[in-house]
Amino acid sequence: MLDRRSLLAGAAAVGVASFARAGRAADAPAIVGVSGPITGPMAQYGAQWKASFDLALEQSKAAGGPAVDYVFEDSQADPRQSVAIAQKFVNDDRIFIEIGDFSSTASMAASPIYQRAKLVQFGMTNSHPDFTKGGDYMWSSSISQAEEQPNLADYAVNALGLKKLAVLHLNTDWGTTAKNLFVKAAQDKGADVVATEAFLPGEHDFRSTLVRIRDANPTGLVLEAYYADAAVIARQVRELGLKQPIAAVGSVYSPKLLELGGDAVNGMFTQSNFFPDDPRPEVQAFVKAFQAKYGRAPDGFNATAYDTMNLVIALVKQFSATREGIHEGLAKIKDVPSVVYGSMTFDPTTRRVAGAKFERLTVKDDKFVLWDGTKPNLG
Amino acid sequence: MMLGPWLDYTVNGLIIGNIYALLAVGLALIFGVANLINFAHGSVYTVGAYIGWASITFLHTPLPITLLLVIVGCGLLGIAIERVGLRALHGRSRIAPLLATIGISLVLDQLVQLICSPDPRALPNQLGDRRFQIGGGTIGTLDILIAGIGIGSAALLYLFLRFTKLGWAVRATAQDQDAARQMGVDTDRVNMTVFAIASALGGVGGVLVGMYYNDIDPNMSFDATLKGVVAMMIGGLGNVPGAIGGGLLLGLTESYGIALFGSSYRNLFAFALLILILVAAPNGLFQRRRETPPEPLTGTFVARSRPVRLPPWLVAGAVVVAALLPLTNQPYLLQTLTNGLLSALLALSLTLVAGTVGQISLGHAALLAIGGYASGLLALDLGWPVDLGVPAAGLITAALGTLLVYPALRMRGHYVSIATLGIGQIVALVILNWTGLTRGAMGLTGLPPPEIGGFDLTSVRSVYWLVLALVVGIALLQARLLSSHLGRAWRAIREDDVAARSYGVDANRYKAMAFAFGGFGAGVGGAITAHVYSYIDYQTFSATLSILALTMVILGGLGNIVGAILGAVVLTALPEMFRFAADYRMLAYGLVLLLLIRYRPQGLLGTV
Amino acid sequence: MLQVRGLARRFGGVTAVAGIDLDVAEGEFVSIIGPNGAGKSTLFNLMSGLDRPDAGSVRFDGVDVTGARPERLAALGLARTFQHGRVFGNLSVLDNVLVGAHTRLRAARPAVPVLGALLELALAAILPGSVRAEERALRADAEKILAMFGDRLLPRRDQPAFGLSYANRRRVEIARALALRPRLLMMDEPTAGMNETETAEMQELIAGLKARGQTILLIEHKLEMVMRLSDRVLAMDDGRRIAEGPPDAVRHDPAVIEAYLGHASMGQAEAAE
Repeated sequence: MLDRRSLLAGAAAVGVASFARAGRAADAPAIVGVSGPITGPMAQYGAQWKASFDLALEQSKAAGGPAVDYVFEDSQADPRQSVAIAQKFVNDDRIFIEIGDFSSTASMAASPIYQRAKLVQFGMTNSHPDFTKGGDYMWSSSISQAEEQPNLADYAVNALGLKKLAVLHLNTDWGTTAKNLFVKAAQDKGADVVATEAFLPGEHDFRSTLVRIRDANPTGLVLEAYYADAAVIARQVRELGLKQPIAAVGSVYSPKLLELGGDAVNGMFTQSNFFPDDPRPEVQAFVKAFQAKYGRAPDGFNATAYDTMNLVIALVKQFSATREGIHEGLAKIKDVPSVVYGSMTFDPTTRRVAGAKFERLTVKDDKFVLWDGTKPNLG
Repeated sequence: MMLGPWLDYTVNGLIIGNIYALLAVGLALIFGVANLINFAHGSVYTVGAYIGWASITFLHTPLPITLLLVIVGCGLLGIAIERVGLRALHGRSRIAPLLATIGISLVLDQLVQLICSPDPRALPNQLGDRRFQIGGGTIGTLDILIAGIGIGSAALLYLFLRFTKLGWAVRATAQDQDAARQMGVDTDRVNMTVFAIASALGGVGGVLVGMYYNDIDPNMSFDATLKGVVAMMIGGLGNVPGAIGGGLLLGLTESYGIALFGSSYRNLFAFALLILILVAAPNGLFQRRRETPPEPLTGTFVARSRPVRLPPWLVAGAVVVAALLPLTNQPYLLQTLTNGLLSALLALSLTLVAGTVGQISLGHAALLAIGGYASGLLALDLGWPVDLGVPAAGLITAALGTLLVYPALRMRGHYVSIATLGIGQIVALVILNWTGLTRGAMGLTGLPPPEIGGFDLTSVRSVYWLVLALVVGIALLQARLLSSHLGRAWRAIREDDVAARSYGVDANRYKAMAFAFGGFGAGVGGAITAHVYSYIDYQTFSATLSILALTMVILGGLGNIVGAILGAVVLTALPEMFRFAADYRMLAYGLVLLLLIRYRPQGLLGTV
Repeated sequence: MLQVRGLARRFGGVTAVAGIDLDVAEGEFVSIIGPNGAGKSTLFNLMSGLDRPDAGSVRFDGVDVTGARPERLAALGLARTFQHGRVFGNLSVLDNVLVGAHTRLRAARPAVPVLGALLELALAAILPGSVRAEERALRADAEKILAMFGDRLLPRRDQPAFGLSYANRRRVEIARALALRPRLLMMDEPTAGMNETETAEMQELIAGLKARGQTILLIEHKLEMVMRLSDRVLAMDDGRRIAEGPPDAVRHDPAVIEAYLGHASMGQAEAAE
């Protein structure tokens, strides 16, 4: 029990972590705490996570892997709930690693609690550049925009030959970061960014925004958006009569883009670190297994979640299913097979993964295909 | 060429304005008859979109049949909403039906999400898309159909209201429900008819807009309600033809706003227009000045109730128990209670403003945002110690909050709610767009933890104690104010502001005082929250939190101090307790809310 | 004390008040009679600041208060009751009366410009002795006013007003108006909905007020009461003055008789009183 004097003296570090912790029974499975949205506006992402976690654990179990299980607490990606969940997790001795939350808002509000409790918070979707700066227990396998955006710029400017660009970006921490990095990289490569337009999450009407873009006379459009927004934007671009090629960040890569975008997304260029037709064996194995279990093709969010659970299993195998084991393990573990990265190794100072693979894709006949090197007709 | 883009902006504004108009017509119809802003309208619109999607996907219906199914489905839903959700509330307090529609909206959205999954769905356009060149852009057949249905339905409604017997009954009911009933009008049937028509229209809107974007998802309702309400307000509350004009004007304003400043500013323009209209032409642009002073609403604003008088020893005992709780080793419980108590700071503020003074604020979370950003920026940019920054943030929030709400002080009833809703949105959008000051979408990161006299409070218990002390302190202060002449004056304004003013109570002045005091408490709450989370952005204190705070206040009993704290703690704990229900917990929450409004409208502890 | 000149108010095409002149002297008891819809209540609203006149002027104690806000008129000493009763339903009877005394608060409402509101907030939180003493005095006074109504209100002083009978709510209205210590007391049908006993009781009370020298302006349908109490009567129809003078003269004025007979909506029994 904590005595009150030391508390008032501001013994900051004596947080919840120091409470007496009962040892875990040897046979009980080690548990991963997941904090993410199951209800609310972002519920679909939580559902995607679950699908991949279940698949990864099923496969591990079939292969005689370690006894690992997860509890998924619904945060609605709301910081008020993610901090409560954090307290719940850090005080649950069975939990040796936490995954999530989905949004940076929810994740970063909970970070101080995980940091003080010395429980790794693995924010697999948290691309906010400050997320891993929350402390040495904040790790992320989210694609670093610092890596992706120069790649995208190279694709758009050098490979596709788009020299006058208009950028549309989601006005969130992610979209703003992506836009800034892209603009810098594109300019370094000699392109001219003639317009940047921010839009709010949930926006559906882009007509007037596109008029601004049209009047800036770009040779190509670049989207820093998720698939649903990208589909709606592409439709309205074509409805407005704009013929310019569209290049988009990897997060638009989803079968849903094709469903929602229809004809309008044909000819869209994007890149992905996950592509189901990628011949790499780990990718093919994942896609086949996912297809068999769920009857649909996985997307990037599925791939990220699948990778993360496999990383956890690998950490448990090589190190231990304890909080300290995971913390040390993340810094040491090398070349974990990954659908997204090929293989994952963390940089212990940034606590992120470098070296994501980017496949250049385009949409042809309502399907994603590898880009064959044909430059778009710039009319 | 000079005119070129502006023609395009105008066309685009009219196209999106069409959609708003369609939403606003249904809202105006319901408001005209039931004197109610139907916050479930957007949910009906979503349900309509999904009925259309299901019928196309599973039944492969052609467009006319699809629309027919949507009309029937949503019409029945409208009848059900009126019959099951609202009729029993007639003659109760004015806000009970408003809250009921919020609850219904929550339940409908959750049902759609549970049944159809939260994934966005494609809703193929069945009309075929022929496009016509106008200016530099094009309009499609669907644009024309949406406009046709909007204007056509408004025209039909107008004729129906003017020239049919049922229409006459609707208008009579709109004028005076009780008088109409005495004249032999079956007002229940009228209400039901109106809900059916409005909901069918809403559903058709949903399916057409879904086709327009080829994209529907269960979260499209809030935005739809918001824009529909704004459009209706511009046209004049309850003015059906005005709603069309309001929708178009809103669309144009947004489009020109985008033309001038870009997409992020669209909603800022929308809500600025709203506030402008509310201040300059509160009855809408298309309505003549209201000619007779409004009817007295004595005693109907809040449910009549005798507050439950809790013995002081019980309250004191509860505080002691709360203070001793950290000695048990329950960090999760403490964190949940801390969240509850932080919400209580907001609820105390809102129960004063909405409960005691009767100004139903739907944008109260903006005060938390102001407090959080004020304290955060003082710490990050000016290096102020947190224990100085937090009270300063309280004062800043009090001042800024009162200033912002100033245009709403002379408004009444629904106008206050809509205005505060708009002001709340404006605050969030300014935070997002004023990148130079607020860091925009990146939010404030690395905020230092709360501190007292140089000692950081990082453990869950110390933060809990701090927040508990603040809640108790502000609650005691508020109780003291309520027992003074201020409490009397505030409650008199709520009960009947005309009578209050006739006895020398300067309503604006006392409302401002309530907002100032409430702003201080909420600002401190927001500041502490920011420092506990270490990270906030413009969405941390969102519009849903404003609605949540209002339900806390209603649950506890309007104006009831202990009730507000109880409501905050219960409603924070409730979703946590429903965790076992995972997917269903928000549904359960919505249902609990509805039952509460139905069976205990005065709240758990009663209105004070 | 009160001078009304050419006061007019139109609603759309209907002229509710058409150029009314009216004077009330200190200590005088003036009644306004007329059939329903004659514009009496509108006239009250115009004089008490709830509605703005389209033409004409109102002077109170020589000060022009045309279109002034009701708060200001209350501060000048004008109190009114409402035709349909506007008590504060969820406030206790005593609190209702204390709201009436709002303009008499001095210690609690410092007359400081700009920062006055903040100071008032601070004083209410600190509750210095002067504020407490003032509150105590007002409470004692309010109870004295309640006592004027016998045991109708005093035993119910802590009950919420919504639970009162209709007649009692009318009494609370009057008690609240009296708590303002009005220089001019305007009553809009104080006995509406009361039975004979209650009406007689109310009449006694009003007579008592008159005897104390209270200046009163009364709208009333019950002519017997009007005739007994009034110094002067103004009869209105269709927004216009049709007669004015001592009660007896007005009562027998042919225009008045015709106005009353011509309006079926006016209760026959009342006209015959």
